Order: sequence, then C-alpha cells, then structure tokens
Amino acid sequence: MTTSESAVQVPKPPRPLFRLERAELLKLRKSLGVWVPTAILTLGLIIIMYTAVEIFHLSNSTKYGPAGGTLNFERALFLMGQIAGMIAAALVGAAAGTQDLSSNVFRDLVSTGRSRTRLFLARIPGGLAMLLPFVAAAYALAAVLSVVLAGGLATPGVTLFVKAGLYVLFSASIVYVIALGLGSLVGSRAATISILIAYLLPVQAILRNISVLGRARDGLLSVAVERLSPLPPPDPHDAVSMSLATSLIVLAIWVAVLGGLGLWRTRARDA
Amino acid sequence: MATQSEYVIETEGLKKSFGGQLAVDGVDLRVPRGSAFGYLGPNGAGKTTLIRMLLGLTRPSAGTMRVLGRPMPKERSLALARVGAIVEEPGFHKHLSGRENLWVAAAAREPAAHLRIDTVLEQVGLADRADDRVSTYSQGMRQRLGIARCLLSDPEVLILDEPTNGLDPGGIQEFRALVRSWIAEGRTIVLSSHLLDEVEKICDHVAIVDRGKIVAQGSLSELSTGDDGAITIGCDEPHKALGAIDGNGSLREVEETAAGLRVLVKPDASLEKVAAELNTRLVGAGIAVHRLEPSHVSLEHRFLEITRRLGENS
Repeated sequence: MTTSESAVQVPKPPRPLFRLERAELLKLRKSLGVWVPTAILTLGLIIIMYTAVEIFHLSNSTKYGPAGGTLNFERALFLMGQIAGMIAAALVGAAAGTQDLSSNVFRDLVSTGRSRTRLFLARIPGGLAMLLPFVAAAYALAAVLSVVLAGGLATPGVTLFVKAGLYVLFSASIVYVIALGLGSLVGSRAATISILIAYLLPVQAILRNISVLGRARDGLLSVAVERLSPLPPPDPHDAVSMSLATSLIVLAIWVAVLGGLGLWRTRARDA
Repeated sequence: MATQSEYVIETEGLKKSFGGQLAVDGVDLRVPRGSAFGYLGPNGAGKTTLIRMLLGLTRPSAGTMRVLGRPMPKERSLALARVGAIVEEPGFHKHLSGRENLWVAAAAREPAAHLRIDTVLEQVGLADRADDRVSTYSQGMRQRLGIARCLLSDPEVLILDEPTNGLDPGGIQEFRALVRSWIAEGRTIVLSSHLLDEVEKICDHVAIVDRGKIVAQGSLSELSTGDDGAITIGCDEPHKALGAIDGNGSLREVEETAAGLRVLVKPDASLEKVAAELNTRLVGAGIAVHRLEPSHVSLEHRFLEITRRLGENS
C-alpha cells in the first residue's frame, strides 16, 4: 500500500471563525434582487456617467471637456458618497435585516440556541462584505477614469484619492448599519427601503432647507455625512456648517439608535 | 451542570397567553429519554405554542421548563445544542440551493455540523437535488430538507411539529422508517400531530392535549389499558338486530351504522366471548351476519372520547 493510498482524506470542519458572517454574505451575494441593483447603483452609475460625458466630449470637444479630471471626479464622488452609494447601502442593509424573517429561517436559526444578539451582529460584517467591494470597485473605477480620461485637465492628487476613498466607504457603511437596524426593527424589506429612500432623497433635502429649524438640522444624516466629505459642498448656500466632532457624534447617534432598535427587536421578537 | 435526567423535556405549570387568551394552560410534560413521544391534539390545542416555548422562540407567561436537564431559557444555547426541530412549515432561502441552506443552518451550530451536510442529504434522499435552488423543490422535498436540517446537530432530541405535512404516501413511509432508525440510535422523538393514526404508528408515549391542557399522558399501552373493546357487526336489518342484542349486560353502548351495528363492550368483559354471544343471538333471531369484527378501542377513539367529554363539561 502506498503512502498516498493509505492517506485517508478526513474532511475538516470549515474555519471556526466568521461562519455566521460568511453565511450572511452567502445569502446576500446569491440574491439577484440584492447584488444586481447594488452593482447598477455603484459600478453601473460610474460607467454610465463617465461614458456619457466622454461621448459628449468626443462629439463636441470644444463645448464639452474630457470625462476625466478633478471636477468630474468630484461629481462622481458626490454621486457615490451622498446619493447612489447611500441607496445601495440602504438596499443591502434592508435585505440583511429582513431576509431571515421573510423566509422564516430566523425561527430555525433561533431554535439552534444561538444567541439572537450574535445572529444580529453577524449581519454587520456579513453585509458589509457584500456592499463594500462594490463601492470600492466603483470608486476605484472612478479614480482610474478620472486620470485616464483627463485629457489636458488637472487630476486629483493622491491625498484626495485616499480621503475620498475612505469617505465613500465610511458613508456607505454608516447607511448600511442604519438600514440593517431599521430592517430588523420593521421586519419588512419593502417598507424599510421606502422609508430610507424617502428620507435620504426628498425629506432630507426639504428639511435641510427649512432655515427655521436652525441647528436642529445638524441631526440630519446627510448633513453629518457631508461634513466628512473631502470636497467642499456643491452649493455653498445650501451648507449647514458643523464641526467634525459634532458630525461624528450625530452619526454615532444614528447608528446607536437604529442599530440598537434593530438589535432590541431581534432579541425580543417572537420567532 | 446538567444531570442525565430520566426525562429529556420537563415542564411544570407552563402557561402562555396571547392577549388574555390562554393558549397553553399549566402544562406539566415529561418526555422520557429514548422514547418516541406523541403530542397529540386537535388544531388550535396549543401544540405549536408549547414547542415554540421549548425552543426559545417565544417566552412563557408562567412556569418552568428544562430541556436535556438544562433550564430554559436561561441555558438556552447549551440546552438546544443537541436538539433538532421542525416547527410548522420549514422555511428556507429559496434563492439558495438545498446544500447552501444547510450550510447557513450549520453556521449557527458547532463547526462539525458542516461535516454532516452530505450525510444528512443522503439520509433524506436529496443528494441528487442538493445543488438545485430550493425554489424548484416540491413541498415534500422542502419537508425533507427540513428534516435534514434537524439532523445537522446530531440531535439527542428531535422535535417535529406536523412533520408529514406535504409528504406523499411514499414519503410518509420513508419518514416513519427514518424515525424508527432514530429511535434505534437512542434519540428521543417528540412528534406533535393532529394525525392520530400517525402518532399511533410511530410513538410509544403520548400526551393528549386539548385547549392548552394535557388531559392524558403516559405510554401508549397505559393509555389503552382499561379501554373498552369494540365490535363492528355487519348484518341485514340493523334495526331488528338492535332489538335482538338488547339486554346484554356486557355492552356499554350500541350504535346503529349504515352497514350494521357498532357496539362498545365494557372493559371487564371478554371481547371474544361477547362477540360469540352476539353472533348466536343475531343468528337465532334470523338476522344474516356477514361481518363480526372485535377490536380494541384505538387511540383515535380514546382521543375523541376524552376531548368530546371535556367539551361537554365545559
């Protein structure tokens, strides 16, 4: 009998770490309803934006500048950091917070005896592992295109690239956790997405323009996120000024309140 | 530290109410280790609510419970580590394959659960379809996948709530064979069902539950002991036959049926002797008897009798 014949292949258990987190990632990445819109809202929008601007430039280069350069990079950053990236994060977070409930799998997971807190917390890294690669890839694409398609325009410096990259990842992560908490609280994916999109787009824009609200507007998610952006606000008259510390406190409160409510509901709900 | 108790599940005064309505009303349950235990009751009797409490899915309003010797819900994770369960219709992520769903379930268990995935898929006959999406599975296949998920923890106790729902007759036969093999392996089975025949065929211990209360509990033989026998009589002229057997002191109840008579015999009387005596009387009265079938009262009859009596008293 040779050594290779005698060697019995005993299957080993998978790495004990992060099994629940990998299970969360598996559920999300195999769902067409999650990854397709996420891809469209991140990579898709960057491709569309740069392609459209480049087509305009090629068709009439005297009227339209090149698609690359700092200005277009800043536009892409605004799109990712404060609009599409946030909506993508809301979609993934809502799915992560509700998919076990809507499929009745939550009941079976709870009946294993595994702590409900642990089940909830596993959704944070699990969902971010799904979302952030898309955001990072879209950002990287925007960064590359801003240089490759710059023509004679100035390109962003390394510092801006790094700061902007951290900013888009951070803002997406914050919105993801908020959406996860809200989804776990409400239990309905459609309701969670509707509430968040309504808040992130029209409601927030209206509230931040009501000057009578004064400093209360510091509590708006978009205001706090915008403060972290390495770019100046697109419309200086629209800006609600706040310190970096206040912005971080506001974001921490958003995460603590909605994440906490989601955790509480996960622990308390009849499975 | 848990002790190796004679009972794998013990509850005392367990109650659960929903908005003032008692769904489980002071249940004292004892499930012997290694038994196949039937939890039998009509729909709405509170069977699923009890199981949900045992599994930590909902909190009891009052009472105590121990699973595998450990108090619930205080030591929930230890108590349930060796328990597999199907509650109502098993749920799955339909966009994942059967194997992936088991992977997700195994992630909430001990690491060795992942190693059992192929084995349990084989056991329930789903190995060939394991990599297909669950959305393409029939209801029976999903039920089997639910059973496979139960087995991932190599459970000492299997709690199965209406497990044959959606299984075809062949699947039910296979399921019964599986249950027998689990019992032979020393596992304890708790089978909640409203299908009396199912419980009678699989279980050796039974608790009968009605309106949230356990109304009888014990081994199948204990519950059947002292029961009346029954004789089914197939004959012409059932009405005339009724008169012919009237006055027999061994009979407790006589009922006219479309094909003849059904009589209940008192427990102290010999079923066979009474059958012979009735036959003599009927033939003597000129009534043609084409069927005479003595039988012990089934669990079904006992169950209906108990629940009917409670209904009349309430």
